[in-house]
Amino acid sequence: MNRLVTVAEMTLRELARRRGVILLLLLMPLTFWLIRRDSYVGQSVRALLLGISWAVSTAALFATSAARELEPRLRLAGYRPHHLYIGRMLGLWALGLAIAVPFFLLTVVDANNLRYGGIAVAMLCCVAVAAPFGMLIGALLPRELEGTLLLLTVVAMQMLLDPADAGAKLTPFWSSREIATWAVDHTDDGYLTRGFLHGMVVTVLLIVTVAGVFAVRLRRRRHLHHVPIA
Amino acid sequence: MNTDDWLRAFAAELYQRRVGRDAARHVVAEAATHLREGGGDPWLVFGSPQAYAAAIVESIGTAPGPRPGPVRLHARGITKRYGRQVVLRDASLTVRAGQIAAVVGANGCGKSTFLRICAGLVSPDAGEVTVSGRLGYCPQQGGTADFLLPDEHFVLVGAAQGVPRGPARRAGRAAARDLGWDAESAVLARHLSGGTRQKLNLTMSTLTQPDVLLLDEPYQGFDQGSYVNLWDQLTRLRDEGRAIVVVTHLLNQLDRVDLVLDLTPAHQGGRS
Repeated sequence: MNRLVTVAEMTLRELARRRGVILLLLLMPLTFWLIRRDSYVGQSVRALLLGISWAVSTAALFATSAARELEPRLRLAGYRPHHLYIGRMLGLWALGLAIAVPFFLLTVVDANNLRYGGIAVAMLCCVAVAAPFGMLIGALLPRELEGTLLLLTVVAMQMLLDPADAGAKLTPFWSSREIATWAVDHTDDGYLTRGFLHGMVVTVLLIVTVAGVFAVRLRRRRHLHHVPIA
Repeated sequence: MNTDDWLRAFAAELYQRRVGRDAARHVVAEAATHLREGGGDPWLVFGSPQAYAAAIVESIGTAPGPRPGPVRLHARGITKRYGRQVVLRDASLTVRAGQIAAVVGANGCGKSTFLRICAGLVSPDAGEVTVSGRLGYCPQQGGTADFLLPDEHFVLVGAAQGVPRGPARRAGRAAARDLGWDAESAVLARHLSGGTRQKLNLTMSTLTQPDVLLLDEPYQGFDQGSYVNLWDQLTRLRDEGRAIVVVTHLLNQLDRVDLVLDLTPAHQGGRS
């Protein structure tokens, strides 16, 4: 447990010291909100959720890429792969919550007649999915530029696809959009249930995939035999 | 180099040349007294620390080195290809407790690859490695976190072995001091100079008390004093019974190691 907490803490410390990055992470959802604010509250809420998802997954991508050189030696020092990826994920989830809370308060103050509980759940889904999603891209693509471009593609696709379209359900942040519809348009509870389930399933799938990628990348190689000292 | 630096370098030279601890302390104290009472530049009075240490060794001899212990690292038949290019062909190395092995060779001959294979970070196409005890690895570059303080690196590495924060910080600072670096300052790793960052890298690799220590050109960016401190520390670790493998291209250090593995393609294989 101590190892998980230490990795999570160091992830948070590293990210907290990137003040410019933190500012941009906060600026991004705010910009999304402000652009759509005058047209229709539903659109501004959806844009805000997408902004949070983009911000957290970008932070996860950069944190994972930055740790690429460090992790093999931490593995040698005695960490197991799950200490490293779960610890980092915990740190990123904490950061995601810290980003989401002020924006939740913003919706409470700035928008009326919303199901605020639904907004909170949608934001939680964004954060829950975004951290392992960004980590997965960071683990699969060795360079940050490629990872950022892929993230951009996914978020743009998410923005442009009709949520009613079957293919839209395959996008990672569909859940937050569905829950936001329930919260803004006061639709039936099916939207909330579907969205919540989608968020849970996608989060679990992403965590399992991240676990697989880290287990392969940080595996003990077959040619190396450890013998205890007699 | 002032008098204190000269004396420090002289003491390190005596230590590395295996002059007995008491005898070395006595000789250094005598030299310090002579310089203090007589004054003058130690370079003019005694010459270089290396030359004077060599003269002392000739006159009083050396203490017998500790006998090498059991095998700690055994790499055999290591072959590695990148595409059609064979980087390593049937390379082997055996290092015992209390030995320092140097891996040398021309640029691109596979020194770092060999070390990464020994560390289990890269798989070979053929061959195997057996390690007894805990493994420590210091990469040539990278391996630190830009936005963490040195103390936080020590805590992170210490936690891997269940070491509490306080003792991990103290152990890290003490190991850093052995390299002539005060690690207490609150400077992020990204603001450290290249040499100091490498000292952080090296300190991290020794923090877990490894039985086998793999160092990939650990002296990058070191000044002369730090370089002397590094070899002083390596010699101390060897005498404590660690097995050490150093990738190096500085052949002037080969007289201080117990084994040499030359990976230059023309004459591959290990020699003692």
